[in-house]
Amino acid sequence: MTKILVVDDEPQIRRALRTSLEAHGYEVRTAANGTEAIEAAADASPDLMLLDLGLPDIDGRSVIERIRGFSEVPVIVVSVRDLQADKVAALDAGADDYVTKPFAMEELLARLRATLRRSHPEDPAPPVRRVGDLEIDLSRRLVTLGAERIHLTKTEWGLLEALVTNPGKLLTHQWLLRRVWGPGYAEESHYLRVYVRALRRKLGDAAAAPRLILTEPGVGYRWIAEDP
Amino acid sequence: MSAWHRFGNPSRVRSALVGIAAASLSTGLAVTVHPAPALGAVAIYLLGVVGAATLGGAAAGVVASLLSFLSLNYFFTFPRYTFRVASADDIVSLCVFLIVAVIVGSLVSRALAEGARAARSEREARLLSYFATKVMSGHALGRVLDDFTGSLLEALGLARCEIHARAGEDVLDARRVREGVAEGGAITIPIRVGSEEVGAITAVPPFSAGGLLEEDRRLLEQSAKQVAIALERAGLDAQVVRARTEVEINQARAALFSSVTHDLRTPLASIKAAVTTLLQEDVTLDEEPRRELLTTVLEETDRLNRLLGNLLDLAKVRAGALVPAKEPTAVDEVVESVLHRMADRLAAVRVRTLLRDAPEVPVDPVQLDQVVTNLLENAIRFSPAGGEVVISVAPWQGAVQLRITDQGPGIVPEERERVFQAFYRGDAKERSGSGLGLAIARAIVLAHGGRIRIEGAPSGGTAVVLELPLADAAPLPQETAS
Repeated sequence: MTKILVVDDEPQIRRALRTSLEAHGYEVRTAANGTEAIEAAADASPDLMLLDLGLPDIDGRSVIERIRGFSEVPVIVVSVRDLQADKVAALDAGADDYVTKPFAMEELLARLRATLRRSHPEDPAPPVRRVGDLEIDLSRRLVTLGAERIHLTKTEWGLLEALVTNPGKLLTHQWLLRRVWGPGYAEESHYLRVYVRALRRKLGDAAAAPRLILTEPGVGYRWIAEDP
Repeated sequence: MSAWHRFGNPSRVRSALVGIAAASLSTGLAVTVHPAPALGAVAIYLLGVVGAATLGGAAAGVVASLLSFLSLNYFFTFPRYTFRVASADDIVSLCVFLIVAVIVGSLVSRALAEGARAARSEREARLLSYFATKVMSGHALGRVLDDFTGSLLEALGLARCEIHARAGEDVLDARRVREGVAEGGAITIPIRVGSEEVGAITAVPPFSAGGLLEEDRRLLEQSAKQVAIALERAGLDAQVVRARTEVEINQARAALFSSVTHDLRTPLASIKAAVTTLLQEDVTLDEEPRRELLTTVLEETDRLNRLLGNLLDLAKVRAGALVPAKEPTAVDEVVESVLHRMADRLAAVRVRTLLRDAPEVPVDPVQLDQVVTNLLENAIRFSPAGGEVVISVAPWQGAVQLRITDQGPGIVPEERERVFQAFYRGDAKERSGSGLGLAIARAIVLAHGGRIRIEGAPSGGTAVVLELPLADAAPLPQETAS
């Protein structure tokens, strides 16, 4: 059974989440503050953690940093804080995703499943991904749209690979820049905008109605293409 | 008055009078004693000249010398009681006396003047350095200027001293007067900051002093410069305070905004999570989890409603829309009715009431009811199980004082003013309140001209003290800890 640790200081939200998650077949453990959360993360070795940021004793961001010291458990932040700065800070501290309160249960469950899939791949990910008539061959570094071969620059390919291999995950500007361009480029988010635009054009995706790359304004990008 | 003026400067008149008096005294003494050799009389007259120079300055010395010369001639040289002089020797002696007397007189007066000038410079230096310390002391400008006027009045022996200055929007006036002293002509020294004239020092010497000396004028000019520095400094201080206040206000606004966001969204989050779970078609919930989720929705809806009610109350009071409908009200009766209504919740604590016979106060009983309710809710929330809550009502210095004391964890002095801010929660672990109760209470109490504050209780808990003025009393100043 998949174990979920729910950390929130509001008893009502803990109760609602517990009821809902248990109904979906998850095993639920709860913690009301940061100290309990860190203890539970160490003792109960949960498969995933839902973490509120505004905890009474330790700020949620510090909780993530401290848990990252001993565990790679996926963390989804669930918070009323909706500022970009809060999201970026939590993600940079090591959170895997960010859901803003109030949320619909379906959305939280979908994010939760996507995060669990990434952290526990049932099979080694196939080297070839297909989305509609788009085919991405990760081992041979080939992209085809319909019958047409698409030529990507080295940077464009690096960006696409980073997105495709982290399906559903919110990737911050800083993370993408470090990964694709290197550590010296973490602040150059305009590079990223230029390359994402180019990639979208070549792959036939539109920012206004995205099928592949979703923009999280001010925070980062998410690969939303459903795997078959 | 006009006769005096025609006669001349009062100080010259004074010199002449001193000279005449000294010569007359010497004559009287010399004639009475009538020393055999005229030499004795000469010595007495010289003493008179020295006295005149000491008391009345060089001019008095000269007057005394001339009169002494004439008196010696009249009373002591042959033929006596005439201004004629028989012997050539006596003429020489008299002339020598006159020269010696004038020289001695002027030497004495000059030495004295030097001494006086030295003492004066020292006093001036002391005064200016005192002013400089005052300027740097950071005391309120009004107080510094008041100090300046007082010191100048003393140091220059003035009849009246005034400093008038503009500091930003404020106009400051400091004024000291020596009672019962006739005033001479006033002089006014402008105070300049840069090229702008921002005020003036007015110095009025006593009429008898006959005007101010050049040194006095210089001292006043130096003082005006010090006042200008003080004004400039106060202006800079005010700018710093304004900037700091603005930052604090912005921070407080941001904190308030994030509190409202948190407090409104948190119950909404529970409701939405519960409802979206209930609406899901892929799971079938048993009866018990269904009930739990519905209970959550109900509880959180009530919580939201309470919060919104409080927010609206606060907004109304702050906007001045909640005008108190004042009527003579017995505070103890309001307290008793609240106690009755809250009886269920008060069962968790021990309530002790000390309701002394207090006069009625003009308040809106409904609003007072809300204040008392908010205060009691806090007392219950923070009390340990079975803790004692003491409610006392008593007359107190033109007001009626209501005091609610609990045995909770107490509030440290630094926090006692902050707890009245909206959404401020003293203890982050205690989230059950809206964080608005005390803010609303204070707003209502202020609208009634009363005041409310937190004190430490001897038991270690919190005492909330509320004072409402009687009908004919002035509004109580709400002191706020800075």
